[in-house]
Amino acid sequence: MESATHAEGPQYSVRRTFEEALDATKDDVLRLGAMVEHALERAGRALVDRDVELADQVRWDDAQVNELQRSINTGITALIATQGPVARDVRELLALYHAATELERMGDYAVNIAKLAQQLAAEPEIPILRQIPQMEQLCREQLRAAMRALVDVSEEEARAVCARDDEIDHLYNSVYEDTMSLMSVAPDKVRQATHLLFAAHHLERLGDRVTNIGEDVVYLATGRIEDLNP
Amino acid sequence: MPESGEDVSVRTKEEIAPSGETLVHEAPRIRLMTDQAVDEAEQFAPGASEQSVAMPIEDGKVVFELQSLSCYYGSFRAVKEISLRVPHNQITAVIGPSGCGKSTLLRSFNRMNDLIDGARITGQILYHGVDLYADGVDPVEVRRRIGMVFQKPNPFPKSIYDNVAFGPRVAGFRGRMGELVEESLRRAALWDEVKDKLKSPGTELSGGQQQRLCIARAIAVEPDVILMDEPCSSLDPIATLKIEELMHELKQNYTIVIVTHNMQQAARASDLTAFLTMGPDRAGYLVEMAPTQKLFTSPDNRLTEDYITGRFG
Repeated sequence: MESATHAEGPQYSVRRTFEEALDATKDDVLRLGAMVEHALERAGRALVDRDVELADQVRWDDAQVNELQRSINTGITALIATQGPVARDVRELLALYHAATELERMGDYAVNIAKLAQQLAAEPEIPILRQIPQMEQLCREQLRAAMRALVDVSEEEARAVCARDDEIDHLYNSVYEDTMSLMSVAPDKVRQATHLLFAAHHLERLGDRVTNIGEDVVYLATGRIEDLNP
Repeated sequence: MPESGEDVSVRTKEEIAPSGETLVHEAPRIRLMTDQAVDEAEQFAPGASEQSVAMPIEDGKVVFELQSLSCYYGSFRAVKEISLRVPHNQITAVIGPSGCGKSTLLRSFNRMNDLIDGARITGQILYHGVDLYADGVDPVEVRRRIGMVFQKPNPFPKSIYDNVAFGPRVAGFRGRMGELVEESLRRAALWDEVKDKLKSPGTELSGGQQQRLCIARAIAVEPDVILMDEPCSSLDPIATLKIEELMHELKQNYTIVIVTHNMQQAARASDLTAFLTMGPDRAGYLVEMAPTQKLFTSPDNRLTEDYITGRFG
């Protein structure tokens, strides 16, 4: 009898409180993603343009990323403790929790790249390997795609993101080869080459974190835990 | 210390710690006592436990302020020295093991205990700053302003319409009764389900609908506070969630205090939670009161932690 009346009253949605809190959490995670993407874009630009001030900004702004991540995770903890979510609800909260943690870490990689930009700017200028801006751009595209997959809860989009990580790995290997060659032919540029290699390494790690979010989406959509970036 | 300082402290003591009961009737003195008690309550540990804390309310209005409230049935003390404050337009949940005095505490908020032989209280309950138990306070008026919804839905054996209209009629309501009934049923999220059968008996509704009818009945007399004593214990999960969502709507206009032994309900539905337990003397006391999210994620007191995680109680 109750369930029948429930179906009759569309204006009266059961568990609205929880839905509202969940939506707000999702919005926050998206905002966090946008902040990290912005940080990454500026870190990449600081590297290419030898822009020390821009790099400084990225370093300063990371505090906001950390703060938002903490607030998301505290909020999710409270939701789990108070709302007793089950099934897809609990998977969604856990996926968002993990995504926030991964995004915070990606923010740290952006900071690392900003620091490398500052160190490189203090050295005699060398041409930035073209693969690095390519990696940076690809990472941002991947990050955006992963956030979209999270919002749409799209298994298909998530799998596509994970598959595309190979492109980043490929670019990283190519940076590795190029920096090794550079070091062997120009020992005076070992410092710069090492900085570049590290920047590429941070981007490669960042790409892996993006695939972790993709795995979260697959878990959210299907309930299965899979390694999509073996 | 200069002498003037001593003078001040002596004077303050006289004013805020009167020994005689007679002062209770002197309004200005009461207010002084209250202010002092409010300050003390921030650190005051009510009951036996050293870590217990009374809830400080940073902003907003206080509806109830309990000062060292004890409730007795004859010589048995059911509730021991509870000090806490209930904020305006929020949902405050009271949880605790069976027999810890939750319902007794709730009934003291609208003097429902008066109806029980041998029931009495010590300490004070201030309702918007007024001593609820002072001479001259009309318990009927108290119960109009502070309504109650009980564990088992108890509609009158009358039509749905008359169930809601009953209270206003008794109170001499002279306005448009039809509108009042509709408005009350709408606020109780029941209107759409009963608008075509207002003349049917309230007892023919489902359990969840009956409980919402009782809420509509409580709302119809335009109370300030709604007390709920285990309002969902006889309902299924869907009906329970409906009542919880309804509470969420109602708190825009009313202050709600709910007693529940369903911890998940307190966690889901309330803004503040008070945890009561009982001492060796079987008297219930307040262990901890905090914002619900805080209490259910990192309670300050070990007893609270053990209770909400199911380790005891």
